[in-house]
Amino acid sequence: MDILTLAQVSKSFGNHKVIENLSFSVPEHTIFGFIGQNGAGKTTTMKIILGLQKCDSGSIFVNGKPVHFGQNQTNKYIGYLPDVPEFYDFMTPLEYLKLCGNITEMSKDKLQQRIQQLLELVGLTSVNKPIRGFSRGMKQRLGIAQALLNHPKLLICDEPTSALDPIGRKEILDILVNIKQETTILFSTHILSDVERICDRIALLHNGKIAFCKSLEEIKSLHKNTQIEIEFFRTEDANLFAKKYKKTQPINNTKLLCEQQQENDIVTIMDVLVQNNLSIQRLEILEPSLETMFMEVICK
Amino acid sequence: MKPIAAFIKKEILELIRTGRLLILTILFILFGIMNPAIAKLTPWLMKMMSESLSETGLILTEININAMTSWTQFYKNIPIALLIFLLLVSSTLTSEYQKGTLINIITKGLARWKIFISKTLVIFLLWTIEFWLCFWITYGYNNYFWDNKIASHLFFSAFCYYLAGIWFISLLFLMSALFQTNSIVLLISGAVFLLFYFASFFSDIKKYLPVTLLNSSYLLAGNNNISEYSFAIIFTLLLLIINIGVGIIIFNKREIK
Repeated sequence: MDILTLAQVSKSFGNHKVIENLSFSVPEHTIFGFIGQNGAGKTTTMKIILGLQKCDSGSIFVNGKPVHFGQNQTNKYIGYLPDVPEFYDFMTPLEYLKLCGNITEMSKDKLQQRIQQLLELVGLTSVNKPIRGFSRGMKQRLGIAQALLNHPKLLICDEPTSALDPIGRKEILDILVNIKQETTILFSTHILSDVERICDRIALLHNGKIAFCKSLEEIKSLHKNTQIEIEFFRTEDANLFAKKYKKTQPINNTKLLCEQQQENDIVTIMDVLVQNNLSIQRLEILEPSLETMFMEVICK
Repeated sequence: MKPIAAFIKKEILELIRTGRLLILTILFILFGIMNPAIAKLTPWLMKMMSESLSETGLILTEININAMTSWTQFYKNIPIALLIFLLLVSSTLTSEYQKGTLINIITKGLARWKIFISKTLVIFLLWTIEFWLCFWITYGYNNYFWDNKIASHLFFSAFCYYLAGIWFISLLFLMSALFQTNSIVLLISGAVFLLFYFASFFSDIKKYLPVTLLNSSYLLAGNNNISEYSFAIIFTLLLLIINIGVGIIIFNKREIK
C-alpha cells in the first residue's frame, strides 16, 4: 500500500512556478530519497504535504486520507524533521518531548516509556540541560526523537544531514536505517552519497517536475554500458594505447576512458597493455552512479 | 483539554524562564508602591519648593493629600505600565514565526485554534494578575495612610481600565495572526489605537469606544455616572470577541514557513 500519494500538485510563488503537476507515491516501509538541486522545490513539496503551505491545484493523500491546508488531521500519521529543527530553547529535551506527547494526548505511562526509548535511540539520555546550549547535531537528533514520538506511519526528513559534520551525518543515517522496520521515510537531500547508502527508491525533482522515480537497482540497470578508466604514468603510453585500442576517449594527457560493451573487454584491454609493455597507475571499472544520472538530467 | 493545558503550561514556563514574569511583577509592584509614595511625599516636595515658588509670587498655604491624590497617581502611571506590558508580551506569536518553533507543534497535529487560545489566555491571565496586584498594593497603602472611601466607584473604574487592557491584548493577537514581524504588529496596533482615539473626539460615537474606558478615573470624583460607560463596556466586549474570533480564522489559514 502507498502511504503517501501526490497527484498533479502545483504551486507558484507569484509568477515563479515552484512545482508543476507533481505526481508520485511512496510505498510503505521504504526509505524514499527525494533529491534535487537547492531551490528545486523539495521543502515546498514537504510543507504542502504537512498542510503548512497551500497548493494551487492537485491532491495529496496520506495513509488514504486527503490533506487539507491549515487543517492538519493527516499530520497524526506523520513525523516531521525540518532541515534546521527549532525548539523551545528554555526547555530540556525531556520537557520538550513531554510537551509533544501531551499535545498529542499520549497516556502518561506510554509517554514516559517512549521518551526513554527515543532518548536512548538518539543518544541524549544523560543530557539534562536546556536546548539553548545544543550543537546542531544534538538538535538534529532531538528532532528525530520528537518526529518519532507518536510512532508515525510516515517520517518526513528535510535535508537532515546537510548541515552536519561527517560523524553527525553518519549518526543520523544509522538512526534512519535502524527505524526502517517501524516506519516509512521520505528523505530529501542533495547529498547523493547519502541517498545511495540508505534509500530504496529515489525521485529526482527538477524544474518543478519529477525527472525520474525509480528504485536504486533500476537506476543502475538503466546504464548497462559501464566504462573503464585507465590512468597511465606517461603521455606517450596513453597515446600508444589509444592507437592500438580504438574505442577510447581521452580525459586528459594520461587518462583514457573506454566504453565497456562486452564483459571480456577488460581482458582485451589488459592484453593490449601487456603486449605493448605499458605500465599503468590504475585500471578501474566505473559503476554508473547516481551522480552521473543526476548530472545527465540537470545538465540537459 | 489536555493539549491546551500542556500548551498553557509551556507558555507559563516560558514567561518564568525568560524572566518576563519576574520583570513585569517587579514593575507592577513598584508602580503599586509608587502611587501612595508620591502622594505621601508631595507635601515634603512642596515645602522644598516653597521658597522658590514664593519668589515668583506663589504662596503655599495648605497642602491637602488623601487617598484621591494617590489614586490620581495610579491613573497617571498605569498607562506607562500598560505600554511596557504590551511591548513585553507583543512578540509571543511573532517570535514563534521568526524562530520556526511552531512548525514542530503544528506538524504534530495540534489544532491551530488551540495554540491561539492558549497564548491569548495566558497573556490575559498575566495582565489580570499584574494589573490587580498593582491595584491592591495601592489600595492597601491608601487604606493604611488615608481612607479609600473618598473615591467613588473605585472598583468599577479600575475594572474599566482593566477591560481596556484586555481589549488591547486581543488587538495585538489579531495583528499577530495577520502579520509576520513584531514591529509591524506594534505599528498597526498603535495605528488602530490612534484611529479610535481620534474617533473619540466625536461625541456621538465616543460613548461606544474602548478608549473611553481609559478615562474611567473621572468616576472617582463622583462627577460621572457608571451608566455612561455601559455602551463602551458592551462594545469593547464585542470587539474583544471579534478580535479573537477573526484572529483564529486568520491564524487557521496562515502559511507557516
